[in-house]
Amino acid sequence: MTLGLKITNVSKTWNPDGPEPVPAVRNLTLDVALGEFVVLLGPSGCGKSSLLYIVAGLEDATEGSVTFDGLDVTEPSPERSLIFQEAALYPWLTVRDNITFGLKIAGQTYKKQKDAAERLLRLVGLVGAGDKRPHELSGGMRQRAALARALAMKPKVLLMDEPFAALDIQTRARMQGHLLNIWESSKASVLLVTHSIEEALALADRVVVFTARPGQIKAEIPISAPRPRDMRSPEMIHLAIQCEALLAEEVEKSFKEQEQELA
Amino acid sequence: MTDETLDAPMVRDKQTSWFKRLLKRLEPTLWVFASLSIFVGFWEFAWWRGWANPLLLPPPHIFLANLTDQFRFFDPGGTRAGALATGGSIFSVLGVIAWSSFRVTAGLVLGFTLSLAIGIGIRYFKIFGKLMLPLVTMLAPISPVAWLPVAVFIFGIGNPPAIFLVFIAIFFIMTLATLSQIDNVPAHYIQLARIMGCNKRQIYRHVILPAILPELFVTLRMNLFAAWMVVLIAEAVGVGSGLGQVTMMARNTFNASLVFFTMTLIGITGFAFDQALRYVQRKVLWWVGPSSVGGL
Ligand SMILES: Nc1ncnc2c1ncn2[C@@H]1O[C@H](COP(=O)(O)OP(=O)(O)O)[C@@H](O)[C@H]1O
Ligand SMILES: [Mg+2]
Repeated sequence: MTLGLKITNVSKTWNPDGPEPVPAVRNLTLDVALGEFVVLLGPSGCGKSSLLYIVAGLEDATEGSVTFDGLDVTEPSPERSLIFQEAALYPWLTVRDNITFGLKIAGQTYKKQKDAAERLLRLVGLVGAGDKRPHELSGGMRQRAALARALAMKPKVLLMDEPFAALDIQTRARMQGHLLNIWESSKASVLLVTHSIEEALALADRVVVFTARPGQIKAEIPISAPRPRDMRSPEMIHLAIQCEALLAEEVEKSFKEQEQELA
Repeated sequence: MTDETLDAPMVRDKQTSWFKRLLKRLEPTLWVFASLSIFVGFWEFAWWRGWANPLLLPPPHIFLANLTDQFRFFDPGGTRAGALATGGSIFSVLGVIAWSSFRVTAGLVLGFTLSLAIGIGIRYFKIFGKLMLPLVTMLAPISPVAWLPVAVFIFGIGNPPAIFLVFIAIFFIMTLATLSQIDNVPAHYIQLARIMGCNKRQIYRHVILPAILPELFVTLRMNLFAAWMVVLIAEAVGVGSGLGQVTMMARNTFNASLVFFTMTLIGITGFAFDQALRYVQRKVLWWVGPSSVGGL
């Protein structure tokens, strides 16, 4: 039995029986080892989100299989938590109740929920914000609350779909540092989607570059440099140029395709 | 920012800032009066110029002049259309308003809870949904007034037919609104609930219900006025005492002053209802920002 996430020959076509089936992912094979931090990098619309939804168990793959710790993924589970670009906190709950939502569903005692909430609020740097409502928080704070909500369920893998894309650059950098700290202490695997090369290089053990739609793996770039990484070091600049070249080709392709579709 | 920079001018401007705050509090009310004044002013002006016949279109200063004379026609106990001169005090007027308000409230509560239950049921139980949806969609466009004879056949006269009509006036619309709200719950909310381990029942209870309630409450408020119109019609054709009955009696006796006096009462009561619903909405559905409440 292999521990961790195993994606084997997965294809996904949206509306397969409809008039215009959309092939989003094609024949993709990817493993994420226990505790590994993998970043998916690709042009927008290439099927990255589709892949995350399949891994989360929210959507079925059209072909292929996904296993986690040797078991088939057939439905969602708090073990494989998903974090969206917008935090998707429930506006009718306080920040604390949002964070303990999963614990409440799991039937944990009120005392346990309360303790967990305090611990998690401290972990993500939101002490004192527990009684606030989501709309009172900034974008970065909301995203931290969403992270805390996922961590409350002690996930084995965190799936993150462009989690920092809606944040300003300064907040982004802080959040990346934050995420790395949490990842290192939690020992969960991370599969994070981004279209930012810099973000990919700052975070990943391995960057997986996607092709234009339908998404396939174009290249895998392992990065062994210790974190925090200096983006101005020759090694990083070299990697960035490499990624940029790979990505530019695919963006070009997807533009061409869109033009053809319109014509 | 330091405290001095903030406080020093504040002390000097205490008088004005106190006045400004009061003005700010009162501003909505002032606008209400300004809005009314335009209407009333125009009417009074028309009377003064002799454009409006005071017998048919008596302006406010006439129909509000002799209140006790008007009060005579309000009889909260009266069940006969056209009952005359058994009322007489402000309490009988309030009694009549209370009867109409009670019918509206009962119909609204029934309509809101049942439409919510049926709407959720339609989406929750697939077969039930397939059976109910065509029925609801076909009954929805029938005007509540068309239900009036049905209401009388089934319930006779008294409170039940009036309440039934209010119920009918909002039930189908609210059921369809419930469906559309359920379908528009953000997909992420539901996906998240599934990841957190919710089963179907828990998703409805913990996510869909709280997500749809605020908008449904706004829909309810929008249909409040329709409910009022229906109840007045029901009272006018004789289900018992109430503002609608007084209006009809005033019409039958060519008492234009009484017509306008009653219309004023209806307007004020409807306004009060809307304010009350807004208050409930703010207290119960605290997560809805004031921006999405709408209206005055
Ligand atoms: N639920 C869905 N139904 C139909 N088509 C979808 C759905 N989700 C995504 N798609 C389509 O699949 C393709 C890939 O989308 P997505 O996975 O969101 O890409 P990315 O996340 O890389 O931007 C797009 O063309 C998109 O329109
Ligand atoms: Mg996406």
